[in-house]
Amino acid sequence: MTPRFALGILVAGTVVVGAATMGERIVARQGNTSRTTVIYWEKWTGKEGEDMRKVVDAFNASQDRILVHYLSISGVDQKTLLATSGGNPPDIAGIWQDQVLQFADNGALMDLSPYARATGVRREQYIPAYWDPLTDRGHLLALPSTPASITLHVRPDLVPAQFASPETFPKTLEGLDALSDQITRRSKNGSLELAGFLPSNPGWWNWAWGPLFGADLLKGGRPTLNSPEMIRAFTWTGSYAKRYGSQAVQTFQSGFGNFSSPQDPFMTGKVATELNGVWKANYINIYRKELKWFAVPFPYPADRPDLAGHSILSQDVLVIPRGAKHPREAFEFIRFVQRQDVMEGLCLSHGKTSPLQSVSEEFFRRHSNPQIRLFDALARSPQAITLPHTGMYPQMGAELGNAFQEVNTGSKTPRQALNDAQRRVDGLWEIYQTQVVNP
Amino acid sequence: MGILFATPWIFGFLLFLLYPLVASFGTSFTNYSILRPPKWIGVSNYRELAQDAVFHTALKNTLVYVIGAVPLGTVLAIALALLLNSRVKGLPVYRTLLFLPTLVPMVAQATLFLWVFNGDYGILNAALRGLGMNPPNWLGDPGWAKGTLIVLAGWGCGQAMVIYLAGLQNVPVSLYEAAELDGATAWQKTRNVTLPMISPVIMFNVIMGMIGAIQVFAVPQVMFPGGAPARSTYMFAMYLYDNAFLFQRMGYASAMAWVMFVIILLLTLVALRISDRYVHYETN
Amino acid sequence: MRRTDLSTRLKWLRTAATHVALVAASTLFVMPMLWMLTTAVKPIEETMTSPPRWIPSQVLWENFPKAVTYGSEQLGYIPFLAYAVNTSIITVLCVIGSVVSNAVVGYSFARLRWPGRDLFFGITLATMMVPFPVTMVPSFALFKWLGWVGTFKPLWVPSFFAGAFSIFLLRQFFKTIPMDLAEAAKIDGASEFQIFSDIILPLSRPALAVTALFTFMGAWNDFLGPLIYLVDQRTFTLSLGLQAYQTQHGGTPWNLLMAASAMVILPVVIVFFFAQKAFIQGIATSGLK
Repeated sequence: MTPRFALGILVAGTVVVGAATMGERIVARQGNTSRTTVIYWEKWTGKEGEDMRKVVDAFNASQDRILVHYLSISGVDQKTLLATSGGNPPDIAGIWQDQVLQFADNGALMDLSPYARATGVRREQYIPAYWDPLTDRGHLLALPSTPASITLHVRPDLVPAQFASPETFPKTLEGLDALSDQITRRSKNGSLELAGFLPSNPGWWNWAWGPLFGADLLKGGRPTLNSPEMIRAFTWTGSYAKRYGSQAVQTFQSGFGNFSSPQDPFMTGKVATELNGVWKANYINIYRKELKWFAVPFPYPADRPDLAGHSILSQDVLVIPRGAKHPREAFEFIRFVQRQDVMEGLCLSHGKTSPLQSVSEEFFRRHSNPQIRLFDALARSPQAITLPHTGMYPQMGAELGNAFQEVNTGSKTPRQALNDAQRRVDGLWEIYQTQVVNP
Repeated sequence: MGILFATPWIFGFLLFLLYPLVASFGTSFTNYSILRPPKWIGVSNYRELAQDAVFHTALKNTLVYVIGAVPLGTVLAIALALLLNSRVKGLPVYRTLLFLPTLVPMVAQATLFLWVFNGDYGILNAALRGLGMNPPNWLGDPGWAKGTLIVLAGWGCGQAMVIYLAGLQNVPVSLYEAAELDGATAWQKTRNVTLPMISPVIMFNVIMGMIGAIQVFAVPQVMFPGGAPARSTYMFAMYLYDNAFLFQRMGYASAMAWVMFVIILLLTLVALRISDRYVHYETN
Repeated sequence: MRRTDLSTRLKWLRTAATHVALVAASTLFVMPMLWMLTTAVKPIEETMTSPPRWIPSQVLWENFPKAVTYGSEQLGYIPFLAYAVNTSIITVLCVIGSVVSNAVVGYSFARLRWPGRDLFFGITLATMMVPFPVTMVPSFALFKWLGWVGTFKPLWVPSFFAGAFSIFLLRQFFKTIPMDLAEAAKIDGASEFQIFSDIILPLSRPALAVTALFTFMGAWNDFLGPLIYLVDQRTFTLSLGLQAYQTQHGGTPWNLLMAASAMVILPVVIVFFFAQKAFIQGIATSGLK
């Protein structure tokens, strides 16, 4: 063995042993403190992340037993699930309401009820539409961090004068359709320049079109994707692709800038109206402060005035994954966030509504959204639409999204697409019942 | 002594291949969410696979991709290797340029081509519009989205190309000279001398290409999350991953993995059977 | 006279045609990457123009450092430098492990005799047909049991146990080395290990280079492995980082995204540039037959 060879082996061996023992620890260094460290994974970056970080700092400063460590994680829901499966979860995860029941069904979440009872967190303190979806068979699975209501935003400068105010804007979907057709404009070569309304923009709530037409996604406790209201809803969304040209719409949309940038389609005037959430005002204030806009409750089908005042509700939530090392301390932080002053401060900075029943006048006064009262009223309305309450929602959502795309690209009729989705969901439901719910 | 030298692989084989192979076979008969202990359910998973419409879609998509990507990659790689095998100036430059795409990490490839194929701002559509055509929105059109993946596969044929090049350079010049004496044209030389002489390499590359194409994951996962649009780009491995780590159905995913394995075995057997007829081995 | 004139003209035509074809193919292959580079240095408004412009009005070289520090004053920015370090650590470990273990095992299959050797080699080849998803779930469970999920270990430890493709490559190569060298050494009393390290290895540089390069590319580009096993965002690799960058809450401007992609590609290009000659030679002499 030549000396050079032996040296090579020694170097390689040192590198290996060194990296093996220190490798990721060099990179994922964590401070050593006498306080209990609680790891908190959250989806928010940028300004929203900073706002939450301020809450974390306030909590850390308010006591000396617990240190919450805030981490921005992209794809936080997937990562949390993977980490929980791998036996290495964070103590708190900030996920979306969409997956709470699914995670719980798979045994990935801790039951928060005993902690809530011990610290005086009760249902009466919350708007029911935000509390109820987070419970299942008597167990509390999550608590809200920032909720939102979602409805139609309008640019009065792109809409004919007689409709350019909240009072005069069309109240029915038929009115919206006619208005949109009037507004939509093409350039000389046939491509779209301005669209009155596009159901596919931003395309984040395809599960909700049916309920906006009065459909019940869990009729009789079973996922129902092909009820008459659902077919009617998807016929309506598909009609836009038909009228404006499916390919033209796709090409038009592929050129839309990011919602968190000055190139946002609503802000740059590529669409005159847009279904979006209460947080939109925040972004407009940052990127196009001088923009004039207003919001109205989403229009309803003319023959269903009982649906008036409806909007879509969503929320960001906080959960404690199973296997978390410090659940009690983790809940102390979550409890802190639920305090009215803290919650209002957080929701103010994010431009969202508050999930609590009691709201202070100051919240409304200081809110960045000039129409916050409308969004708050929409959240309290009995017509508010929330996610179907089942752990199978992610699959339902995937099927509905798929059906939406199929109808939009014209590859299937609404009836076909929804019947296929229904058939598939029926099969999944059976399996879900036998394998997950009652194993 | 020989066994001593082979111990790393013996361990590796047992630990990372044989054990997972057997374990996944067993898991495929259970309902397993990794957060709860596995529960035996017999052939339920396989029965469910037979009726799973999304699985059939994923299978079909993957097959279409394989049928498109493997021949395209092979033909391109051989053609380019033939070009590079000639005695022209500047070969190292061409070789590097043609091999460059394979060095690009898959995530970067996906990101880059999301940009290239963009319906509004991408250079491809700009070029096509400049020629007077009205191109579709490649990424948003279910009929065309798979095509973009196949094009990407062709773009990355550099690795196979280099292997073919090495194989071409091993072909004895004497065979070409003999053919020339018989008055063969360039095409005849290619067909009767070159291709048969590199046929073992072709077989190797085609089989490896097939095995790789069936498992394609990273690029479609990044370019088309969820198999959008309308699941037209939902591939076998993507559905497997979703079932294992998103829906927490590891038993079902294991059953799927074994179906994939069996398909690969069958296709390889078919390829080997065909190759018996066409592949010419140099007897040393 | 006339016949030679015709044949030289034909030859010239063929050379010209070959050049044309190569130029066309190279242009097509390289164009997306050129496009990436021009987009990377554009100001954001010029990235979203229709028809797209090739030449930016101003070259913003600062887009490159900007891409890796984008939002660094804010939370959740993608620490590309840290990711590069992570990826490098994992890749170096993989390359070391792969070269060492595959050389040793390849040698065993090529030059040493032991019972069941050829049968086991056939089985080894067969394992190349086992798709990754088959072993994915039990491997995940295994690593979870070991407590290695969330660390780098699942990504590099397996490379120390050799892999079928590289075993195959190196075995073929070792077989081409004439036996007499080893015979002579054995007569001089050298041990098997000495023959391996002093005679065979120095002759095998090209093949080892090929193994190292393939392993390097595989580890640097690996996406699924880090996706499953890496948990803490600070431990992510470049592949994961690039994907996270792209899907970031709020999205990323295209010019910065292209700049980041360019920087992720660069190290591999550099390594390949230096290893090129050894690489081609290695593939040629390993004789994939």
